[in-house]
Amino acid sequence: MLSRTAENLYWTARYIERADSIARLLEVAYRIHLIPNTTEGYQNEWESILAAAGIKHNYLNTNSEITKNKIEYYLLFDPNNSSSVKACIENARNNLKMVRTAVTLEVWNAVNTWYHELSNYDKGKYDSKNLPQILDWIKRQVNLIKGTINNTQLLNDGFDFIYLGIFYERADFTARIIDVKYYILLPSSSYVGTQVDNFQWSIMLRSVSAYRGFKWAYGNSQIDYKKIIDFLILSNMCPRSIFYAVDKIQYHLGRLAQFYQSDNAANRNVKKIHKGFVNSNAEQIIDFGLHEFLTKFIDDMSTTYSDLEEVYFLGTDR
Amino acid sequence: MFNEVFNKNKPRIAYKDIVSWANSLPYHTLIKKKNEAENLFKKIGITFSVYNNFDSAERLIPFDMFPRVITKLEWMTIQEGVVQRSLAINAFLRDIYNKCEIIKAKKIPAKLVYMNPAYEIKMVGLKVPHNIYSPIIGTDIIRTDSKSFRVLEDNCRTPSGVSYMIENREIMMRMFPELFEKINIEPVENYSSYLLDILKSLAPKKCEGDPKIVILTPGPLNSAYYEHSYLADTMGVELVQGSDLIVEDNITFMRTTQGKQKVDIIYRRIDDDFIDPLSFNETSVIGVPGLFHSYKSGYVNICSAPGSGIADDKAIYTYMPDIIRFYLGEEPKLPSIKTWRCSKAADRKYVLANLEKLVVKEVHGSGGYGMLIGNSATKTKIKSFKIKINNNPDNYIAQPILSLSSVPIFKKDSLTPRHVDLRPFTLLGHRKRRLVPGGLTRVALKEGSLVVNSSQGGGVKDTWVLKN
Amino acid sequence: MIININYETSYVFSSNVPRLVQSIMLHPTECLNQKVISCDIVTSKGELVEVPKDALGHRLYNIYNKNISEPQTISMKCTVETKDFFGLMKGLGESVHPDCFLRQTKLTEPDKKILNLVKKKVEKSSVDFCHYLNHCVSSSIEYLSGTTDIHTSAADAISQGSGVCQDFSHILVGLARFHGYPARYVNGFMLDDTDLASNDTHAWAEIFIVNLGWVGFDPCHDKCIDDRYVRVGCGYDFSFTSMIKGVKTNYNGTELLNHQLSVQAQTSQ
Repeated sequence: MLSRTAENLYWTARYIERADSIARLLEVAYRIHLIPNTTEGYQNEWESILAAAGIKHNYLNTNSEITKNKIEYYLLFDPNNSSSVKACIENARNNLKMVRTAVTLEVWNAVNTWYHELSNYDKGKYDSKNLPQILDWIKRQVNLIKGTINNTQLLNDGFDFIYLGIFYERADFTARIIDVKYYILLPSSSYVGTQVDNFQWSIMLRSVSAYRGFKWAYGNSQIDYKKIIDFLILSNMCPRSIFYAVDKIQYHLGRLAQFYQSDNAANRNVKKIHKGFVNSNAEQIIDFGLHEFLTKFIDDMSTTYSDLEEVYFLGTDR
Repeated sequence: MFNEVFNKNKPRIAYKDIVSWANSLPYHTLIKKKNEAENLFKKIGITFSVYNNFDSAERLIPFDMFPRVITKLEWMTIQEGVVQRSLAINAFLRDIYNKCEIIKAKKIPAKLVYMNPAYEIKMVGLKVPHNIYSPIIGTDIIRTDSKSFRVLEDNCRTPSGVSYMIENREIMMRMFPELFEKINIEPVENYSSYLLDILKSLAPKKCEGDPKIVILTPGPLNSAYYEHSYLADTMGVELVQGSDLIVEDNITFMRTTQGKQKVDIIYRRIDDDFIDPLSFNETSVIGVPGLFHSYKSGYVNICSAPGSGIADDKAIYTYMPDIIRFYLGEEPKLPSIKTWRCSKAADRKYVLANLEKLVVKEVHGSGGYGMLIGNSATKTKIKSFKIKINNNPDNYIAQPILSLSSVPIFKKDSLTPRHVDLRPFTLLGHRKRRLVPGGLTRVALKEGSLVVNSSQGGGVKDTWVLKN
Repeated sequence: MIININYETSYVFSSNVPRLVQSIMLHPTECLNQKVISCDIVTSKGELVEVPKDALGHRLYNIYNKNISEPQTISMKCTVETKDFFGLMKGLGESVHPDCFLRQTKLTEPDKKILNLVKKKVEKSSVDFCHYLNHCVSSSIEYLSGTTDIHTSAADAISQGSGVCQDFSHILVGLARFHGYPARYVNGFMLDDTDLASNDTHAWAEIFIVNLGWVGFDPCHDKCIDDRYVRVGCGYDFSFTSMIKGVKTNYNGTELLNHQLSVQAQTSQ
């Protein structure tokens, strides 16, 4: 396979996943807005949503105030935001267009339709009323695309590059969203068990669509920070957990190494990271420092990405 | 104007079934089918970005559902004509880059060739694999009466449109299967396998084993990108951009997930000038540094060969009948169109005096840009062309305004005639030639308009060559 | 005359160059005017890969490099025995038709000011007329180094009134073409033992005269070329004759360039 093809498939998938993540973030925002009891700290929620998406600084460059309507527009359609949902959809499609023949017609149709339908939602002045409908559409399309990939793509190397894109993005996103709010997961006597805590924790779970999953996994027992850390970082049941993403990355890198019959640094290093997770528990992570743990994880993953790039995307002799 | 479908309001024999089918379509079905076709095109991704359009928005090339029919007999004439022309073009290219016999025989002015910007001196004396310079030739044909087809233009650099020929058929078959049961039509779907076969026969000297073929595209922003990816997909070859290829020690490779892999044949869809920044335009970022030297060294074949473009130059076109006679010893089977060369004083005088009756074209232009159609142009435009021609006469030729034949399009609930042309695609390989029975019918969508180019708002139709 | 040439170009890169492809046109032309006794071209990085000769008789080499960050030096050392044929080029052995060199390029296209240099009636196929053109051009601008660059056209040079050998040659080439003489840009080396000697390569023009052939004119010195000239390459204009041309891929850094040249007559031993 052409190196560029692999790279374009990888990035197509990353952008699809990113659009999905942003939609989920907005869903949380929408939820906060529906709760009538708007006490202080909600302003913080908006800010942390921007921070989680990694665009707070850019937002403040073009917007003077943080308001619900503006943030929604910014995250969805604003041409000033290079990682809006719109930009993600366009980038996903442009990447895929360059390698149109590396995916099935069905996958192309799914992505292309998504792109063409975008204009139905982004016309005229943005109206906050339409948010649920827009989010619904984004998530539906993402699921359709992923389902189509699963159902129609040949399970060859291209498939692995697509999945690497999805899970690199997911690992990064989940790590960042926890990191933005890492302090609410720290044991602190003054907060534990209070209303604020429960609310904050549920928001965190919801932002990665893991609220229901958490309830199923742990029953109706009291939410506590250890369980959340366990569930969002270490669980292999939660599809949004960091470990789940690492596990998938390891799997697909392993498949590639086997397919091409050559081992490489990316594969070896991800295996090491994976092993570290298997041998960890929530307490150890808190001892190490949650923030420190996440920072290290993000750094380690970006190193493995450089390895991956070197071995597969440069395409010259190794 | 010759109406291909109706003769005094009565459908001609070849069109009888189609006309009764068209008339039987209720208006709402028509609308429904039209939307269906549009959605299919959109989904498959056939889009055409128009130059001079700032927002680079992608547009659908308009498709009209009323098919264009060519009888078996008519097709045989066309086939013989375009094959003859394609052979002559390749013989001509070989000659002007080697012995230059046609110039020595004074059949064509030396300066017309040697001073032509499309004449590439780097190609002089170079041995081109199997002596095929231009393996894929699109010939633009128009019809002016019941008997004759005429050649309007040759395209031997990187003719496009073949994907529309195939997709138009695909969509018609999906939407109107009943028509295909009734009427016996030659298939066009073999084009890609023919093209693969032809390219494979053009392996360079230093190719060992089964040649590795790639299609080289300028990228997704190119107006014909869809076609590039369509052909790569249906031929089962890689679609590469310049950055995917590297040259090391004069050998051309592509960058893959398994390291570099040798490439033997490049079907390039980028212009000569941009192929290689080291040998040609050094500002090119879509080319491959060292590619031309790899080609010269016999490691890779570039199809079409650099410098092929001179054969479809409009100034050369006027000599095409002589070129055919010179190399093949035959009379042209498809006539050309009377052409005045503004470089000749007498011709220029005539052209300047009769601009209202003529089409004036730039010698090196293409795609319908820089053209004057005398009878429909404003006085200011005619004036500006007078100045242009006087300033640079060599750059212009003129032809009579020919009334292109017409085939109807669906307009609301009725059929209205519009002008059409036809572009069949001839394939020439090493000791083999292929021609799919069919071609691209382009149609001017504006009433009375003679400009069929999609870049100027033209549309397309499915073209049916009848089996009997 | 026997001439020894020592030419060296070195590049210093500010950072790693992922990929560098260079085309080298440094080998002196082999013809009756000059016999190449020896010619060594050496690169400090990568290897020279020979490319088949082109139709103009150029001997080209390519150098393919990956990931270089240290400086690169390309040098050419040659000994050439030259003969004076009063400008006439003999035994070039090329297959390109001279009429190809009637085509103007952006760099050679003459403007009114250039055309006005010629006050005499145009003569066809005349050596004298070509000498006259050469003479007109020789005083058309002032020789001043550093006033023009690789993008300067003949028209630019004449309007600013100064230039170097490259600009003189462009003006002459454009003018000759305009009057129906095929003409081309030539670059090479010149033995110059005056105090004005520069350590740069030299450029002049060749004009094709029917029944005679290609004749070398040096508008900088207002004369025909002789046995002090060593010819390397020719083309439509300057841009077709670069001695070293390189394309870097994925490189954002800068490069520092340094030339060294010595051209010396070999004294008999």
